[in-house]
Amino acid sequence: MPPLEHVLVVSAILFSIGVYGVLTRRNAVNILMSVELMLNAVSINMVAFAIYGRVAFDNTFTGIIFAFFIVVVAAAEVALALGIVVRLFRNRATANVDEVNLLKW
Amino acid sequence: MSATEIVFYGIAFVMIGGGLGVVLARNIVHSALALILALGAVAGIYVILTVEFLALTQLVVYGGAVIMLVLFALMLTRARERPQALFGKNRPIAFTIAAGLLAAFVAGIVASEWATANPDDIEPVPFQEIGDVLFSAWAVPFEVISVVLVIAMAGAILLSQPDQGEQ
Repeated sequence: MPPLEHVLVVSAILFSIGVYGVLTRRNAVNILMSVELMLNAVSINMVAFAIYGRVAFDNTFTGIIFAFFIVVVAAAEVALALGIVVRLFRNRATANVDEVNLLKW
Repeated sequence: MSATEIVFYGIAFVMIGGGLGVVLARNIVHSALALILALGAVAGIYVILTVEFLALTQLVVYGGAVIMLVLFALMLTRARERPQALFGKNRPIAFTIAAGLLAAFVAGIVASEWATANPDDIEPVPFQEIGDVLFSAWAVPFEVISVVLVIAMAGAILLSQPDQGEQ
């Protein structure tokens, strides 16, 4: 097994890549993919803490269950967000977030 | 270095490569395919961390359902029909923010003292124990989350339906 720090650093790298994608991409679907990367990075963190801390803290798999819930919530979020993107494309003929300035005048 | 560690670093490399593909690819469909690679590698990391249950969930939900939805959305929004700039104008700022965040995380991780077990005494997590915990201590959140999922699916169907009189 790799040391805990290495797992955490790998997940931090994945999270930062996701942040970069969210901040730079224009297409809403692409931003959503970057959000998925960030969610997965967080899940890896939770699982790593649950596994490495199981002996030291006698915890009851809380991190693993959290990671499981993150997967479910992410699935729900993707379904809703893509519904919104499709709707947006139908109304505004674009899926680029910087062209959607409905709240500006 | 044990065999598990070598496999871990290999999978981590694939995962970071897939992640970079998602945020840097010039074609959106390619970035969806890179997302499959990254999410599959995350499942591999779960296997290394001895949580096979989560690895299978990850492959079924992300590798199957989420990627399908993303590709469908790309098809419905005709992302490839018009050539267009894929990146906004704030790339240097975004790079600074992401790099600064990574530096802060790594500094924090290195500076902290983690009260962990010796990595070599970690025992695999059996499927049965996860199931027992999920349906005893976490039974109520589990039911709540299934309701959330149903509401989200209904909402997605409602959102993507055409309005009355449209078309």
